Amino acid sequence: MKEYTYIGKDVVRIDGLEKISGAAIYGDDIDFGANLLHAELVSSTEAHAIIKSIDISEALKVKGVYKIFTGKDFPYKFGLYMKDRFIFAQDKVRFVGEQIAAVVARNPGAAKRAAALIKVEYEPLPAVLDQMQALADGATLLHPDLENYPHVPWFFPKPGTNIAHWRKTRKGDMKGGFNEADFILEDTYTVPRYAHCAIETHVAIGKFDYSGRLTVWSSSQSPHTQRHLFAEALGLGHKDVRVIAPHVGGGFGGKAGVTMEIIPAALATKLKGYAVKLRYSREQEFINTYQRLGVVAKLKMGVTKEGRITALDHKIYWDAGAYVEYGANVVNAVGLSAIGPYRIDNISIDSVCVYTNLPPGGAYRGFGYSEMLFGLESHVTRVANELGIDQIEFRRKNAIKVGDTTAYGAKMNPNGLLECIDKVVKAIDWGNKPAPTNPNTVIGNGFSLFWKAPAMPPNASSSAFLKFNEDASINLIISGMDIGQGYQTVMAQIAAEILSVPPSKIRVETPDTDRNPYEWQTVASHITWSSGNAVKKAAIDAREQILSLVQRVFNLPLEELYLEDEAVKCTQDPSFNLPLKSFVVDGIMTKDGTFKGGPINARGMFMPEFSSANGDPETSQGGHPNVHYTVGAAALTLEIDKDTGKMRVLKTALAIDAGKALNPDLVRGQITGGMLQGLATVLYEDMRYDSKGKLLNPNFTDYKIPTAMDVPDEIIPIIVEVPQPDGPFGARGIGEHTMLPAAPMVANAVEDALGLRIKSMPITAEKVAMAYLASKKQ
Amino acid sequence: MSIAHEFNYERPQNLHSVLELKDSYRNKAFIYAGGTDLVVNIKEGLVKPELLIDIKDLAELHKLCLDNGTLYIGASVTFTELIDTEFVKQACPMLHDACKTVASTGVRSRATLAGNICSAVPSLDSATPLLCYQAVVHCANTEGVRNIPISEWFLAPRKTAIKDNEMVTGISLKIPKETSTSVYLKLGRYGGEDLAQAGWGIWMNTANQYRIAHCALAPIPSRAALIEALLNGKELSQELIEAAVALIPNEINPITDIRSSKEYRLHVSGVMLKRGLLAAKDRLEGKEIEPAKLLGGIA
Repeated sequence: MKEYTYIGKDVVRIDGLEKISGAAIYGDDIDFGANLLHAELVSSTEAHAIIKSIDISEALKVKGVYKIFTGKDFPYKFGLYMKDRFIFAQDKVRFVGEQIAAVVARNPGAAKRAAALIKVEYEPLPAVLDQMQALADGATLLHPDLENYPHVPWFFPKPGTNIAHWRKTRKGDMKGGFNEADFILEDTYTVPRYAHCAIETHVAIGKFDYSGRLTVWSSSQSPHTQRHLFAEALGLGHKDVRVIAPHVGGGFGGKAGVTMEIIPAALATKLKGYAVKLRYSREQEFINTYQRLGVVAKLKMGVTKEGRITALDHKIYWDAGAYVEYGANVVNAVGLSAIGPYRIDNISIDSVCVYTNLPPGGAYRGFGYSEMLFGLESHVTRVANELGIDQIEFRRKNAIKVGDTTAYGAKMNPNGLLECIDKVVKAIDWGNKPAPTNPNTVIGNGFSLFWKAPAMPPNASSSAFLKFNEDASINLIISGMDIGQGYQTVMAQIAAEILSVPPSKIRVETPDTDRNPYEWQTVASHITWSSGNAVKKAAIDAREQILSLVQRVFNLPLEELYLEDEAVKCTQDPSFNLPLKSFVVDGIMTKDGTFKGGPINARGMFMPEFSSANGDPETSQGGHPNVHYTVGAAALTLEIDKDTGKMRVLKTALAIDAGKALNPDLVRGQITGGMLQGLATVLYEDMRYDSKGKLLNPNFTDYKIPTAMDVPDEIIPIIVEVPQPDGPFGARGIGEHTMLPAAPMVANAVEDALGLRIKSMPITAEKVAMAYLASKKQ
Repeated sequence: MSIAHEFNYERPQNLHSVLELKDSYRNKAFIYAGGTDLVVNIKEGLVKPELLIDIKDLAELHKLCLDNGTLYIGASVTFTELIDTEFVKQACPMLHDACKTVASTGVRSRATLAGNICSAVPSLDSATPLLCYQAVVHCANTEGVRNIPISEWFLAPRKTAIKDNEMVTGISLKIPKETSTSVYLKLGRYGGEDLAQAGWGIWMNTANQYRIAHCALAPIPSRAALIEALLNGKELSQELIEAAVALIPNEINPITDIRSSKEYRLHVSGVMLKRGLLAAKDRLEGKEIEPAKLLGGIA
């Protein structure tokens, strides 16, 4: 294997000093001077109601109030995959917290005081707060005119119902598959909603100048997608919309697409010359941004007594909220992949996107796979145990391999799933459990596989510009967002490897859509793969420009020229050594005093040209909707206090096939962080709504995210590298995947320790203690 | 999140001025020490004071001392100061334990014990040591000082015996002369800062006298009189502990809320009382115990 200089090395983050020194500028840090106005929202107190009237008269009297806007000022729809959403509620509200009006004032306090004085009169409508209720006959319809909503061609809404999209995947012969089975297990698993809880709340500032150009500064994972949606919704040309994305204080999917950012963008268009800022409070962050969707999953799995899966019927009903313009694609992605990383011949998947009167569901790290795997990996463990087959052997036997057929008929990519299983088994010392530390506790081991593919439109693309400076340092101009994963560093490593310039000499800034080339979004764990390919192409373009210039000037054969240590060298002439800094801007002087060449500016682009969403609507067969899957395995050892139910992760190991870990330290960082985030969703996080659709815990007092105190005693990150043929240096994405196995492996460990199967998340100490107490009484 | 409410701010240089302001503004003036509850409440619109009286310049309110068996804690003494003071830990282990479980490091460095008891939430960790050590709350107004026994301090959730024109200047705890010890056990939902799902404080001495208090299990933090009466004068034994646990349903009145169900609170109180009594006994016998680890999970 080729030895790399920068790829596969633990290069220190190039944005590290900027961030830890406080030099990094975030959205709320930017000074807009005296013409800055502040917006405050008036939000619905009803889950479903007709807006009868909005009285702004008292609010207008508040000193400092500049203007007040309502839905009638912005009669536009918008949405990423389906246009079902409004900038402000029009005639109806569909969830508690939906924006109805905005006060724009000279200072945030005045805006808030005035917003409290706006009186909204409602005529309540029956609210549907749960997806199963929304599917029942006679359920109130949230969107009676669903048939008129524009959407991408791979969505299949059912007008006249609350079903916004129904992804059906069918393969093989279900009847035959279940007939062949010696054992069939059927059960239902439920997962509540979750919040991202990025430390930086959403913030965006819109400015519409007198020349008619809109600039939006936004804490975002998706600057180009935002520009597109702003232009589309507000009727502006793309060249006249500019999105500037400063550093982001955490995303986790919550800052993908467009949520609240459209509000200051729209307000600005009515307030020429002013900058208008909207900064969410923590409560608003909870109630009116995307949330992770809730799930009811019904699983039926047939197996032979030898442990071969003969059929899987997986029905997943998603609580997608009041608007599903992004969330419906979560449903779609899982509907194509709900077999997990298994080889199954007979498959029926129904992934049903259901409107409910709760906040809009959307992207959240894992994009639906965590929710799906909670049921599937619980079920797989139970099936193996019921058969009396070791659950690891069962997984090995059914694990998907390269060339096997996926649920939608395409071939599985090269992968190291079996290697991941073996390495986790060894690291966790599976089969051996440590002795409990005291008589109150018991120990359980839990295992889970995981997989996930990027969920993207087939034409999602990335691009890169690269320019050399006089000292042979480089500005790498790209438009992905470093949301903590180390994107900027890894992209610099890729350019560094091709161009022999150290990453410390490469500057990567956050994007500005005017100057930076197109990037679809920083989501789907696709950015290392997709943007990485674009950066690699840009670097190769630069190298070709450099080498062909040297060839032209020195008349050396192109195939003998190469880059090393920031210089052009020649395989046949060891004395030839032309430092890059001597010519990458100024060119090369020839004998007659003329110069050849000039500034080296390069570009690269990547689009997965083999991808297609053209599957059959009834079976999903025929297309190639997913570019590849990243797979892995994980296990943990859990100590449980039987009487309090409190749990402690003594040890956990996670192996992931990164294809090629471009920066192993950053991969290990993702494994640690993802594991912690996943464990939090299973052990204590939980969004709770009352019977009127109001969120009961929109705060960190009662919505708990992990602290340093909650880190497992030992986390063992394991990197497996089976190259992705079309990935940069063989790499594929790993960011989201690291949280996927946490929930099922905790459920599996609880059963291993106490003999109790818990089928709903979260698995809190209370739930475990009360289940154990009930089991003792039986 | 911005503060929409407008108010005045004073930072008096002597106690008399504080009390005069309090006397004239009554319930429109709020004493501002740590501000960790107050500022949040103002932001959320839960209180709308006309005046904040900042007492942080008054050295006399920052006194923390142990004299003649009385532990005196001034109104502006923070939780971190209490935790870091060795004589507090020695004299009143339960107070040390409880302070360590309040909020997070950052909040504890600003928040005061006096402010904490004025918030009077049912889940008040710090109430259990004050109840067991028979604390007295010193309330001053322009007329003089009123000393209120802690047993008469908590009237209802978020309601105390303080009057509109008074402020808390300090709290005194009686440290017993005989050999005694105490422990506080708190159950929360995870390893980070949390409000108690249940809290139990246990004091005992070598003469088999017991004082027991709980929080988050009734409308106000309370002593467990029935359990104390059962235990007093008796050596701890398996049977005695079981009998004490059996009295719990008569002693507490928990509710179901977002932090816990009533049923879990009832169940886990038995576990906490049992482990708490054994831990107190261990401590009395000079053994090292770590209260945070007694209930399992990450701590």
